[in-house]
Amino acid sequence: MQLNPSEISDLIKKKIENFELSSQAHTEGTVVSVSDGIVRVHGLSDAMQGEMLEFPGNTFGMALNLERDSVGVVILGAYQHISEGDTVKCTGRILEVPVGEALLGRVVDALGNPIDGKGAIETTETSPIEKIAPGVIARQSVDQPVQLGLKSIDAMIPVGRGQRELIIGDRQTGKTAIAIDAIINQKGTGIKCIYVAIGQKRSSIANVVRKLEEHGAMGHTIIVAASASESAAMQFIAPYTGCSMGEFFRDQGEDALIIYDDLTKQAWAYRQVSLLLRRPPGREAYPGDVFYLHSRLLERASRINAAEVERLTNGRVKNKTGSLTALPIIETQGGDVSAFVPTNVISITDGQIFLESNLFNSGIRPAVNAGLSVSRVGGAAQTKIIKKLGGGTRLDLAQYRELAAFAQFASDLDESTRKQIERGQRVTELMKQNQYSPMSVAEMSVSLFAANEGFLDEVEVNKVLAFEAALHLYMKSEYTDLMDRINATGDFSNEIKQEMQVAIETFMKTHSW
Amino acid sequence: MSELATLARPYAQAVFKRAVETDSIEKWSEQLFFISEVMSDHEIKSLVINPKVNIDKTLGLVLDICQDYVDQEARTFIKLLFENKRLSLMPSILSLFESLKSEHGGYIHADVLTAYDLSVEALDNLSNSLALALGKKIHINVILDKSLIGGVLIRAGDIIIDGSIRGQLQQMQKTLQ
Ligand SMILES: Nc1ncnc2c1ncn2[C@@H]1O[C@H](COP(=O)(O)OP(=O)(O)OP(=O)(O)O)[C@@H](O)[C@H]1O
Ligand SMILES: [Mg+2]
Repeated sequence: MQLNPSEISDLIKKKIENFELSSQAHTEGTVVSVSDGIVRVHGLSDAMQGEMLEFPGNTFGMALNLERDSVGVVILGAYQHISEGDTVKCTGRILEVPVGEALLGRVVDALGNPIDGKGAIETTETSPIEKIAPGVIARQSVDQPVQLGLKSIDAMIPVGRGQRELIIGDRQTGKTAIAIDAIINQKGTGIKCIYVAIGQKRSSIANVVRKLEEHGAMGHTIIVAASASESAAMQFIAPYTGCSMGEFFRDQGEDALIIYDDLTKQAWAYRQVSLLLRRPPGREAYPGDVFYLHSRLLERASRINAAEVERLTNGRVKNKTGSLTALPIIETQGGDVSAFVPTNVISITDGQIFLESNLFNSGIRPAVNAGLSVSRVGGAAQTKIIKKLGGGTRLDLAQYRELAAFAQFASDLDESTRKQIERGQRVTELMKQNQYSPMSVAEMSVSLFAANEGFLDEVEVNKVLAFEAALHLYMKSEYTDLMDRINATGDFSNEIKQEMQVAIETFMKTHSW
Repeated sequence: MSELATLARPYAQAVFKRAVETDSIEKWSEQLFFISEVMSDHEIKSLVINPKVNIDKTLGLVLDICQDYVDQEARTFIKLLFENKRLSLMPSILSLFESLKSEHGGYIHADVLTAYDLSVEALDNLSNSLALALGKKIHINVILDKSLIGGVLIRAGDIIIDGSIRGQLQQMQKTLQ
């Protein structure tokens, strides 16, 4: 929009006309010391915990420590221009960020300001970043699936809408890759996604944005970025910002998926802020409330019932439940899940997807350790057909793991043991999946069915993935109707079973791979 | 500054309690003011922090200066501060004592910054409405400040009531941003 000078002066005139003069009383304090983004303010005897405080130069801070004679404040953003003796004002407000549909497709910082150069965000709604999680009465149990599009996860560790499923693993084990595939797979499902990047390199964040754009997944996604170069305070609040944006959709009776990549770095940022505020350090130098830091965040991911949605929208939306599914990511050091932050988050979440570097390095990607990964509530939400067909997969893999260790010592094995090992090898191979190629329910079902019914046993181990690709192509062109039906309902009937059986048999006879 | 207040609070409270017991609040207020003035003297300050000077000598000197102005209890107080090496707290102790004193008397101090001299009538009006608003008796201290351009700015403790032209211009600047 171009404005000419006379229009601009009209605009200003109007603003001045509507400008109301008031001499309001406010409380004021003075800056006593400034260090590393932490400011100590004298006075402000009635500041609230978490209140926004206004500094000179349009800078804001958040009150974190309320002491007898001073208030400890973290500055949000640049703090170089603040000096001793500056006046600080109370605003009487808790930190708020913009929320709404207009944020979809945008990249914002931890305060909700756009950083993608696409102009201002057209939304009038805001929401405080810290909110109390929905109460017990408002909740509904998890019974609808979120398809991540990854065979190994959807078949063995299903995630439901409103669930909190942890992705945990060492560095470079494909944690982010799972999250990105999950976002790409939500295209067209109506699930809105929020990706919160905490303490990552700017280049990694740019890479994620580019990949999402390439796969047409930015349209339903908000990215909240607090990169490694931003202050610890911004990295500490970024997850709460993203959560408020996701809660907006949940409270409208829609479904949303939020990814926190990763909470380890958020805990580091919080530790830094706490130590600079001189709060007493505890285990691993974290302050006493790191557990609460993550539990209050993850409790906000939930499914709420139709009555609550109706109440929150003042009756505008009826008979719809809302959900916010969270996939927090935690990075471990040397596979140690018993460190402080990993144990905390494991105990808060409804299950974990455990990624292992030796699996990753031996080419099993996604590097999911099926034995240590669990989903405590997702089973009730799993798509019926996947549940039916995936059950065998877990068993096959478990038996294979047991036998494989034992078989290293025994030279000649009996027939059934040898068969089980061969099946295990093929299923392990089948669970591999490339990045950026999430699968539909129908494709997954065909693959799992082929493994369950023993079709794979006739395929050489190193040809399994080629076989799968050819089979999918064949099914999509020759059995479009069947595939569509599976995708639409997700049911598994005898009829579907028969059709699949016939289809794969014909494929095996007529095609090579 | 805030840490100094925390350290000074127990001393100020102790002195104030004693002053109330012996019904000598005004007297203590004057004595503390005097001691604080002495302690903020440049030469005394440098003596106190000079490690080469014997503490007892400095103490003797300070007591000597205060001789005619403070009573026996105040002398003991000075000795205590010397022993605890808390002499630098004296100004904070004084200001805390003063705020305890006004709290005790049910009034508060308010600085009224004004661009032009106020008439007695206007001041009376102001202090009456302030007393109503804050629910306390008011001791007004008028300060002339041309930079306000017009109007008044009232400062009572942490509370600021800005009715100055400068403040309104600042508000306008913010809405136009
Ligand atoms: N399924 C996969 N198939 C092939 N390559 C993969 C797969 N998953 C991840 N990778 C590759 O592995 C590398 C590490 O993946 P990713 O960045 O997701 O790991 P991470 O655990 O998030 O790492 P970091 O600890 O650095 O955050 C990337 O180069 C990615 O392209
Ligand atoms: Mg990553």
